[in-house]
Amino acid sequence: MTTRQIHSSSAAPADRPEPEPSVPAPAARPGQDRKRWSGRSRRDFLVFLAMASPNLVLIGTFTYWPLINNIYYSTLDWTLGSASATVVGLQNYVTFFAGEDASKVLGTTAIFTLVTVGGSMVLGLLVALALNSKVRGTTFARSAVFAPYVLSGVGVGLVWLFIFDPGYGVLAWILRGLGQQSPQWINDPELSLVMVITVYVWKNLGYCAVVYLAGLQSLPRDVMEAAALDGANNARRFFTISMPLLSPTTFFLLITTMLSSLQAFDLIRIMTPLGNGTSTLIYEAYLQAFGAYNRAGYSAAISVILFAILLIVTVLQLRFVERKVHYS
Amino acid sequence: MRTNLDRRHFLGLAGLGAGAAALAACGGPSTAGTADAVDTATIDFSGVKPASSIDFWTNHPGKSQDVEKAIIEKFHAKFPDIKVNLVTAGANYEEIAQKFQTSQAAKTGLPGLVVLSDVWWFRYYSNGSIIPIDGLVKQLDIKIDDFQKSLVDDYKYEDKQWALPYGRSTPLFYYNKDHFKAAGLPDRAPATWQEFAEWASKLKATSGAQYAYIYPALAGYAGWTLQNNLWGWGGSWSRDWDITCDSPQSVAALQWAQDSIYKDGWAGVSSKEAADDFAAGITSSTISSTGSLLGVLKAAKFNVGVGFLPGGPEAPSGVCPTGGAGLGIPSGISKEEQLAAATFLKFMTEPENTAAFSAATGYMPTRLSADMSAVLAATPQIKTAMDQLAATKVQDNARVFLPGADQEMAKSAAKILTQQGDVQTTMTELKKTLEGIYTKDVKPKLKA
Repeated sequence: MTTRQIHSSSAAPADRPEPEPSVPAPAARPGQDRKRWSGRSRRDFLVFLAMASPNLVLIGTFTYWPLINNIYYSTLDWTLGSASATVVGLQNYVTFFAGEDASKVLGTTAIFTLVTVGGSMVLGLLVALALNSKVRGTTFARSAVFAPYVLSGVGVGLVWLFIFDPGYGVLAWILRGLGQQSPQWINDPELSLVMVITVYVWKNLGYCAVVYLAGLQSLPRDVMEAAALDGANNARRFFTISMPLLSPTTFFLLITTMLSSLQAFDLIRIMTPLGNGTSTLIYEAYLQAFGAYNRAGYSAAISVILFAILLIVTVLQLRFVERKVHYS
Repeated sequence: MRTNLDRRHFLGLAGLGAGAAALAACGGPSTAGTADAVDTATIDFSGVKPASSIDFWTNHPGKSQDVEKAIIEKFHAKFPDIKVNLVTAGANYEEIAQKFQTSQAAKTGLPGLVVLSDVWWFRYYSNGSIIPIDGLVKQLDIKIDDFQKSLVDDYKYEDKQWALPYGRSTPLFYYNKDHFKAAGLPDRAPATWQEFAEWASKLKATSGAQYAYIYPALAGYAGWTLQNNLWGWGGSWSRDWDITCDSPQSVAALQWAQDSIYKDGWAGVSSKEAADDFAAGITSSTISSTGSLLGVLKAAKFNVGVGFLPGGPEAPSGVCPTGGAGLGIPSGISKEEQLAAATFLKFMTEPENTAAFSAATGYMPTRLSADMSAVLAATPQIKTAMDQLAATKVQDNARVFLPGADQEMAKSAAKILTQQGDVQTTMTELKKTLEGIYTKDVKPKLKA
């Protein structure tokens, strides 16, 4: 069996046309609809309401109501702590997009998101491939790789600050041993971004590795063996069988890690409190309201922009990326 | 494409909104055009009975948690009807301000007494978040004349007193006596930066430390300590409300600082806390708050010397800013709580308590009548900080009154001191930013 045959034989059921019903279904009569609604459907609906409404009330109260409020606040010139504010319409949005903030913050957000998502996924996949091999110590290695993901971001940030410290950090000590001065990881805005991205990828690649590992272990063994018998080498099997069959995993990781990166906060807050060079959208929103500026209305506008971006990214991923996903 | 909203996507959307929740959960402002100013005419405490319990929000400046607890215990013994709850409201002045501003917006959970730093109290005033304490000073007979005048005057505006000094500090020059001795240098702080530049190469050659001098961490109030350099060269961040950070004098001061790192190679920039770097022996000298003094003396494994801040080519003295924090009373609490808070404020700033606080931290005693003999016998270095008070200067308006100016100054300093950015260009950009903040956030709130 060739890989092409594998593809065609494992085409997604959703792509197949539904069989035509042999007998046209009779048109439902109003009386029947009422009967159905008054019977099992109503009970089901009541059960649905009983199960879902506590969550809907909680999510509505603590997520959607604040979200609507936040949109309202984004139309105000409001200093946090002040009891009064002025309605300014869309001025906060104009200020953001017309000033330097937009290019700086959106650029930092884009770099941070792309590199952390790409880095976590690529390294996670490589680690998963290594962990998928049958050698001694893989159980320990899996735990070790996953451990940083469950550690507190604050603790991780503090420890890595000591590693990166140009004065007495481990990295500086190693560099001095090599006759080099340590770069200013913490003070230099460009290097700060590199530092935070490095730590973020280190912390999160374990998550990608574990999810990829689960995906790799669920790949059909017979297909791989058949491809091997047909003479496909490791690389060919990986790129033409494993990767396509892992596409649901990749798609899942793409969405979750991208949303997570766009909302990354703890490491940035701990490692670069000023946000100098590391101000992503969510951190800029925090700094503007709760940092030294106290521009609550402006911060709310940035939050709304972040919300819109997250929504657009998710919809685009669902619309375009999911088409490429190969559900076996 | 599936368009139905399944559980995963529904929860995902819920997560998206979560970031907005913190801000939106706040109580929200009025848009009816009401002013922020406190109606000072109604602040009359006659016939008011103090509340039985208040919260005291502090960040324990200078690792002062133990001494704060001890003072509160003494207060409880003297005033058993008022319970003071010591609340750690943040790790630094910014975090405590964040909590205070958020409570202010939520209109709930405010403390009776709050620590407010030099860059925050004016904002609290302009937002109407604190009350003037003149009436309470009179009613409780707080001896204002016995406070260090320059420190108490820092909280005066519109002829009203908005706070009292608490953990007040100045920057201090810290030096490693052993390194200075090994380099054949006199056992004193340099009189000027030019003198130190002559010493620096000797220090670098003999000390074994990475730097002869380390600039304070940029995230830790760079705008505060760099005033020393600016003033020494005849520059400043601002003069009154005119932003002067791009003046030739200011640019010359910062160019000299940049050269000390890149051209001359004897200085570095701290990444976290210069006092810790100094105590760890990474540098032969630094500038840090007097509030770090006790911590440095405990941590350092060498002889520590302290001195006045060095002057510059234009101003050999009078180049030290005041700093630190005071105590204020929120406007959004009951009069009973305000009176209880003022009673505690009076006790907290009594001469013996300010002396105890000073002994435990290194912060300056705020009362003239504080008996410091025992404290100075134990820690003679505190005397230097006290003596330097006479040579201090009020900080530049731009640093203390413009919201976010300190952060902008730190970013500009990072560009100059860690990226070797062009000083003139950086300062011109900073001026534009600071003027924007002044025009938008401060000027409309200033009284004519």
